[in-house]
Amino acid sequence: MNTASSSSNAAQSSASTASNPSKSLKTFGENIWKTKTAKVNAELFTLTYGSIVSQLTNDYQRDYAKINNQLYAMGISIGTRLIEDFVARTALPRCENMVQTSEVISKVAFVVFLNINPQVTNWSNNKDAFSLILDENPLSDFVELPIDAMKDLWYSNILCGVLKGALEMVQLDCKVWFVSDILRGDPHTELRVKLNRVLKDEIPAGED
Amino acid sequence: MAIYSFWIFDRHCNCIFDREWTIPADSSSGITNSKQNEDTAKLIYGMIFSLQSMSRRMSSKSNTVRTIATGKYRIHLLSTITGLSFVLFSDLKQQDLSQLLQYIYSEIYVKYVARNMLSPIDYAENDSEKRGQGFRKINNRNFIKAVQDVLGPMVNQ
Repeated sequence: MNTASSSSNAAQSSASTASNPSKSLKTFGENIWKTKTAKVNAELFTLTYGSIVSQLTNDYQRDYAKINNQLYAMGISIGTRLIEDFVARTALPRCENMVQTSEVISKVAFVVFLNINPQVTNWSNNKDAFSLILDENPLSDFVELPIDAMKDLWYSNILCGVLKGALEMVQLDCKVWFVSDILRGDPHTELRVKLNRVLKDEIPAGED
Repeated sequence: MAIYSFWIFDRHCNCIFDREWTIPADSSSGITNSKQNEDTAKLIYGMIFSLQSMSRRMSSKSNTVRTIATGKYRIHLLSTITGLSFVLFSDLKQQDLSQLLQYIYSEIYVKYVARNMLSPIDYAENDSEKRGQGFRKINNRNFIKAVQDVLGPMVNQ
């Protein structure tokens, strides 16, 4: 969610990098973060997000279910736009399966936008659902939830919305939700992504 | 090198932007987002769509068409994985303008359309405007100006 603009040159085509195994995907992501991403102060970002959540808490009179939904909806509208930024910057080809998708998300997308590298674990048997473990989460630095929020608020729920919106734009209809959060006293912050179905590309009327 | 026209199609098979230059000597001539071009846009999309699916069938799924040349002109094509197609018509002298299209995508489209939170990102508002039946266009002044600034000087070269 670092919205600062990339440097002036057009993104170099990187199809060759992308077809290499996952190890180079990591260096690829780090390179984009280093060379094509303008940096902003992380604390400014953390505090901006904090003030959004606290404003929502006031507006919805501490109805945390509504706040979660609102953050999720905001995330979706960010994600549908952010994906264009991401695709333009990386020029990666479409992923063929969820394993590839998970690697691009953890090794490129999170690195490029937040400079964090979540772990991918807990694969479901048919490889359509996985978890991202966010050991460091810049959204929730400095944050301590009040007692009444601990049970119901998913503080970083905007991330779920962003992933949902972005994946939908590349024809992956997914369900994205938080399983646990350090802020709520859990040992990890775990975000779960589950593929519902792969959407079909539209074809012009009369072509079917 | 000369450029004749520039088109953008979205993932709903709609033409969301068109710019056609008519007089080579005058780079500001021609039409933008014109109703007259509706049928031409459908023809262009149909041609690209067919060639695209043909090339995919003949090799892997991620294969995409980049240029199409005829006796009179060459078409340059950039398809993104989010379903956008950027299409540029030029004369035959130019071999490959994919860098230019990538520039237009990442520095103009992303900057003036995707990051413009109050302008729509999806130009089909309901199901009846999908599958090539839509009519909405990118009418964003900054975007139109930036496209003209980049492509205008190349109209007559």
